[in-house]
Amino acid sequence: MKKWHFLRHPVVIFVLAQLAWLSLVGIWIYWYISNYIIFDKVGDKISPQLVSKSANLITLLIGLFLLVAILLGMYLIFIYLNKQIKLAKLYDNFIGNITHELKSPLASIQLYLETMNMRDVPRSKQKEFISLMMQDANRLKYLINSILKISGLEQKKIYFNFEVCESESIVYTLIDNARQQFKLPQKAIQIIGSAPCQCVTDRDALKIAFDNLIDNATKYSADNVQLTIRLSCNLKKFIMEFTDQGIGISAKNQKDVFKKFHRIYDQNSPNVKGTGLGLYWVKEIIKYHGGKISVISAGKDSGSTFKIELPIYQTSKQRYINSLLKISLKNGLKRVEK
Amino acid sequence: MKKNKFVGSKILLVEDEETLAVGLEYNLNEEGYQVVWAQDGKQALDFFNTKEFDLIILDIMLPYYDGFEVARQVREKSPEIPILMLTARTHVDDKVHGLALGADDYMTKPFHLQELLLRVKGMLKRKMWYKEVTISQPVYCFGNNEINFANLKARAKGQEFQLTAHEAMTLKYLIENKGKIVSRKELLDKVWNITSEVETRTVDNFIVRLRKYFEPNPAQPIFIKSIRSAGYMFTDP
Repeated sequence: MKKWHFLRHPVVIFVLAQLAWLSLVGIWIYWYISNYIIFDKVGDKISPQLVSKSANLITLLIGLFLLVAILLGMYLIFIYLNKQIKLAKLYDNFIGNITHELKSPLASIQLYLETMNMRDVPRSKQKEFISLMMQDANRLKYLINSILKISGLEQKKIYFNFEVCESESIVYTLIDNARQQFKLPQKAIQIIGSAPCQCVTDRDALKIAFDNLIDNATKYSADNVQLTIRLSCNLKKFIMEFTDQGIGISAKNQKDVFKKFHRIYDQNSPNVKGTGLGLYWVKEIIKYHGGKISVISAGKDSGSTFKIELPIYQTSKQRYINSLLKISLKNGLKRVEK
Repeated sequence: MKKNKFVGSKILLVEDEETLAVGLEYNLNEEGYQVVWAQDGKQALDFFNTKEFDLIILDIMLPYYDGFEVARQVREKSPEIPILMLTARTHVDDKVHGLALGADDYMTKPFHLQELLLRVKGMLKRKMWYKEVTISQPVYCFGNNEINFANLKARAKGQEFQLTAHEAMTLKYLIENKGKIVSRKELLDKVWNITSEVETRTVDNFIVRLRKYFEPNPAQPIFIKSIRSAGYMFTDP
């Protein structure tokens, strides 16, 4: 019976339902017209008042209009449901990944606590274990914070603190911080080019975006991390291109990497950790800044380039940027009043 | 804690989480085992192909090759090495898949250290018992059946097939106790190292499988007989 399984696919069900519906309407129109012709011929002889051509035409037109409206409605509902099904599948993946991401550090913390409870662990080892437990506790804290912040960002409940800043200077500062945080040598991340312009940014949010990109470059580079950040600007945009020498992203996946919960499963991947939220978070942050992010990769083992474009304060998207500054100012005042 | 008689056993620890691997390695070393740590599926297979191990502790979500693939490739070459899957994946499908690929046990994270160490010890105990009894008599024939306990290959009803480690160990234990009644509990203890998750029904399922393989008429067994309210008995008429 496997050959009939395709009938269960939502697209097939939708097409068959549409065909059934259209056939029914076709039969109905045929029936209506053929009856109408008879009625037209005989009606005059029975009772001339019954025949009103204009009323019949209007009924037919209204009927057709309603038919198109119903078809359109069904199509839209189908598209919406299809999206929901896809999202539900991705959500299932997310639950699997988040379970792994939460349970692994928890297992590690439990292991060290039970070890110290069960054995006489030398002092130096104890210190090492405590440091590993703290590492895991921080990982858990970061994971939980990310989930809460993304949820807040989606519901617009996160207070941003936007301010006008020198584009180059903020990049240099944030990348210096990232080098220390990820314990990367100076030459692992190189900044080239120049961008003498100003833009409106929330420093903390931009740090999250940069950290995510650097973390990805680290996770998906098999050997040494080599990240180049090219800065440039034109009349309206400040452009940052993060190019790594990692395993690359296939053309098929390039479209989906910014989608919520999306993760790439690849046998060549040197890393399997992650929730599928990182790049979605980056995209949302950049979108909130009035900018956009895209990715280009020549494919396997050819590295990837993430391009971020932010509007320049003086020349682009002024109304939106000014509204961001106003919101931040208001929130700042509220915080001071409290 | 009692002195561990399996001191020196070599364990391949396959775990990509460094913080967890360091703690596991420390505890296994403290128990007297020699531990080799592989950080991904590729490295695990490299180590397995170049070194000898007595047991493998295997995570599932691994870079390059996942734990299922590692278990599959290991089982192709070595049907008898004990594999303990240690993973954060708790879904019953993962557990069934892992066990079907030949894992001997499955533990989910977070786990209790003492339980893990006891399971490792139990698996090594079973491996040693199996090795000892197999060296003395690797091939056993009964009726028209022939079983090679060294490579787990069996020939019955004109066909050659591969037994799983548990099937072979169940049969071996019954043969070792030929003519004696072996209770389900005893089999659970000797073959499965009894755990709360394994019930006596598991033994019955294995016996049904073994009868299907080797009995001319599984409904009326002549080799593996059921002894009512007592267990099973192997006879070789």
